[in-house]
Amino acid sequence: MNSWPNTGPGTGVGTRWGMGMGAVWRAARAAVLRRRLQTVVTGLVVLCGTTTIMLTLGLLDAATTPFDRAFDEQRGAHAVASFDIAKVSKEALAATARRPGVEAAAGPFEQVVVSFPRTTDIPEAEGPLKLVGRADPGGPVDRVHPLHGRWARAPGEIVLNLRDAGRPLRPGMLGSRLLAPGVPPLTVVGLAAGMSQSADAWVTPAQAAALRPSGVQMLYRFDSASTEQDVRAGLDSVTAELPGGALSVAQSHLELRRAFSASADAYLPFMTLFGVLGLLVAVLMVANVVSGAVVSGGRHIGVLKAVGFTPSQVVAVYLTMVSVPAAAGCVTGTLLGNVLAGPVLNTAFQGVESGSAGIGISPWVSVVCLAGMPLVVAAAALVPALRAHRLPAARALSAGGAGSAPLRGRGLGVQRLLGGSRLPRPVSLGLGQPFARPGRTAMTMAAVVLGVVTVTLTTGLTSTMIAFAEAEASPVPQVGVRAGRPVFQQTAPKLDDARIEALLRSLPGATHVTAKVFVDVHLSGHAQRSAVNFQRGDPSALASQVVEGRWPAGPGEVAAPPSFLVQRGLAVGDRITLELDGRRVPALIVGQIMSGDPRFLWSTWATLTALAPGTGADHYEVRLAAGADADAYAAAVRAAGPGLHPSIVRPDTRAAATVVGVASVFTTLLIVVASLGVFNTVLLNTRERRRDLGMLKSIGMTPRQVTIMMVTSMAALGVAGGLIGIPGGMAAHRLIVDNVGVVVFPESMKDIWDAPLLVLPALSGVLIAVLGALVPARSAARLTIAAVLHNE
Amino acid sequence: MLRVSQEDIVRLDGVRKHYGETAALDGVSLRIGAGEAVAVMGPSGCGKSTLLNMIAGLDRPTGGTVVVAGEDLGRLDETGLALFRRRHIGMIFQFFNLIDDLPALDNVALPAQLTGVPARQARRRALELLDELGIAGRKDAYPAVLSGGERQRVAVARALMNRPALLLADEPTGALDSRFGEQVMDLLIDLNQIGQTLLIVTHDPQLATRCAGRLVELADGRVARESALERAE
Ligand SMILES: Nc1ncnc2c1ncn2[C@@H]1O[C@H](COP(=O)(O)OP(=O)(O)OP(=O)(O)O)[C@@H](O)[C@H]1O
Ligand SMILES: [Mg+2]
Repeated sequence: MNSWPNTGPGTGVGTRWGMGMGAVWRAARAAVLRRRLQTVVTGLVVLCGTTTIMLTLGLLDAATTPFDRAFDEQRGAHAVASFDIAKVSKEALAATARRPGVEAAAGPFEQVVVSFPRTTDIPEAEGPLKLVGRADPGGPVDRVHPLHGRWARAPGEIVLNLRDAGRPLRPGMLGSRLLAPGVPPLTVVGLAAGMSQSADAWVTPAQAAALRPSGVQMLYRFDSASTEQDVRAGLDSVTAELPGGALSVAQSHLELRRAFSASADAYLPFMTLFGVLGLLVAVLMVANVVSGAVVSGGRHIGVLKAVGFTPSQVVAVYLTMVSVPAAAGCVTGTLLGNVLAGPVLNTAFQGVESGSAGIGISPWVSVVCLAGMPLVVAAAALVPALRAHRLPAARALSAGGAGSAPLRGRGLGVQRLLGGSRLPRPVSLGLGQPFARPGRTAMTMAAVVLGVVTVTLTTGLTSTMIAFAEAEASPVPQVGVRAGRPVFQQTAPKLDDARIEALLRSLPGATHVTAKVFVDVHLSGHAQRSAVNFQRGDPSALASQVVEGRWPAGPGEVAAPPSFLVQRGLAVGDRITLELDGRRVPALIVGQIMSGDPRFLWSTWATLTALAPGTGADHYEVRLAAGADADAYAAAVRAAGPGLHPSIVRPDTRAAATVVGVASVFTTLLIVVASLGVFNTVLLNTRERRRDLGMLKSIGMTPRQVTIMMVTSMAALGVAGGLIGIPGGMAAHRLIVDNVGVVVFPESMKDIWDAPLLVLPALSGVLIAVLGALVPARSAARLTIAAVLHNE
Repeated sequence: MLRVSQEDIVRLDGVRKHYGETAALDGVSLRIGAGEAVAVMGPSGCGKSTLLNMIAGLDRPTGGTVVVAGEDLGRLDETGLALFRRRHIGMIFQFFNLIDDLPALDNVALPAQLTGVPARQARRRALELLDELGIAGRKDAYPAVLSGGERQRVAVARALMNRPALLLADEPTGALDSRFGEQVMDLLIDLNQIGQTLLIVTHDPQLATRCAGRLVELADGRVARESALERAE
């Protein structure tokens, strides 16, 4: 095998091009063709790396901006204003569209609140619904996104607003009839999602008018609306010329955004984390593979210089050589990333009430990948290429590598020790290899360690998240019971609060009953809205989620989720004052629960008695015996009292599914990238050692011994990589779970490591290394040595 | 089954080797007796190295039979060939082919260690050989710091490590200047005089006439001429 056929300027290219790009291109092309496998590996690593980065950036992008994006796409309303129909005319309202500061307005639309009893299986069609009469989902503001079916065209038709557009359509939803007292039956003809949340459902204007509307709705976009003040200023401008008291209520888009991110917040840290990890590993691996390709060309560099390539041309040859597969990998990776983004992002955002926030990949991500990846590749190639630039030709030629042959023994002691050991010679030779080439060894180790850290970290995070999701979901069947409220045109229960509790306890299956009520309270000295959930009876299932301190037991004791405490700068042990209608009750934060809404506190009934005596519970949490039939219990509740509305709490496994899904995709991608990195390193190693391998075979090393030697050297790195990578991954896991912020994991969810869980990461290092080594090692074993020995 | 006379170490019959279109060897038959020293000469590209590779079992012929030290190489698999080389063949190359990462002593000891000889014993014999070849003082040096002549003597020591029936040398002096070349030549002569069978490929007529008793000339993959040489003293 001739090392470099027809690559030099001597082939005639030089005459026309001088020693210009022609020669460089030909030399690079020959290099690419001759190292097909390595070229393919480089391309694959860049491909997987690009895909990982695409998903990563897509994830980060979607995690931070889906609300804004969907909101802007739909030209969401900065303010949804309800006006009193008795105080202002529709003409006057329509005229507000031209007020200063108003960018666009839609309406007036008539609106009415209708309370639907539970007649269907559709949660969106239950309870008090705000119905708005709109002829058209489009318009200048709040372009409602149609999901299924069509818009309402005739009276008797209704379109429901889906709060979570990503959920699959349940059969029978379209076409079901909604019945409410005093209202003609309404047939669901469509499902839509509006980011402005301007209505729970839409009907035709004529239908709305027929329902005796209590108010009309105006939807506004303002010139500036980024702060509450802006929104308030806009509303002031709108109402300036209207009669006083015409505006009954207005909802700001900022509030919606906060609500949106509150539900997304629990996931974002994990998504971000996987994203950053993916980015890091992909960039490092690409750098590793690319620089490896350049480093391994040491001898070739000597040849090129000997035939008259200038140092800059040598650099150019190397850059061209890696840019061919890199460009191919980058483009394919971007395409693949775009294809995968849909399913992956949908999995990632399953649990988030996204409305119609289309969770897709934005074009800038593709642009960044297509532009950024080549930069990473070029940078990775440039460092060793510049080293090649300086390398004297003679040194490169005589040493048979980029000055890599040891003049004095590297790792001399180790080599001698191994040579004199009782180990079979192929094994000791293999063990000695990593010490002979510290640079290459460091690169391989980096690949293996990253792979192991990734596997360890994702294994750990997955376990933590599964434990978290399990803790959130009740281990026993659970039924929530709401007392009907006349304000929502529901029948009030005949029994009083205490009797309801007693009744729920007496029904078969119940083991724990907690009576609860949410009361909006003011927290002295804190501007944010707060609500306290006062509880009576058995401690709620939440009590098991206390991660610090304890569950409130006595008067004036409260527990809070981390987000509540962080937002207000409080900690367990701090004293606060609850205020309601002029009464002030001092309270002590005695516990922190794992996670929860930043507005909510939990406290005891004794606290409520001090704050608002006489308030009764309006909902009840019933835990049933394990294996009890929740449906039967719910039926029994319904039969026992007409004003009681039971609903079965179904464990929500989506959180766990989300994390596991995303973790698996990234783990797979990262392991593929890491294995390819190792594979590539061994490949280069083998190539570099071809002459040695040929010689070893010529003195009688059997193919088996060659394989043993090569695999041993990599397995040694795998073990070492595992030893470094596992603690590294565990430390990274700890760092992350300790700093999520909105979730405080109990120690039991952080300390998830046990022997079986560590087996996978422990094996992964060796597995990555050995798998990576096996193919090149076997091909080395089959190497036809005659050619190698003579020519290299 | 080919009957091989006890004295014939090498017996080639109609050996052909094709690389695609090129016929590197085109029907070569050759016998080398025990204790003989044979030189192979011929223009560049005539197939000398290919011939050597066939005999060492480093590559397989396209046709014909190769029998070396009583073994029909065509019947051996890769592992069998490796074991055959280990037992019967020592090789020396133009570019030495030492392992850069190992000091001289460990390079020499390697062939014995591959057969499972304990390290201590292998190193002892390696040191004896280096001593005989006059470079025992360089035993801990790495190949990169050895001179060409020293490297080639280390390579010879390594080739002799397992007491091979046949020593193959492919242009052993090709990369050496005349002074080091002479040293290596003297070494080969001495070895042959104590009974070592030799096959030397060379471009150097002086090396051929000084070291070998018989000359085989190749041209275009065929044996063009065979002649006895009178050894120059
Ligand atoms: N691995 C190979 N693949 C293809 N062709 C080969 C291979 N090895 C040798 N050849 C061809 O076979 C022919 C004989 O090659 P060989 O190396 O045996 O010649 P040689 O006599 O040793 O030449 P030199 O004196 O230059 O060393 C040449 O034409 C060569 O190009
Ligand atoms: Mg030759």
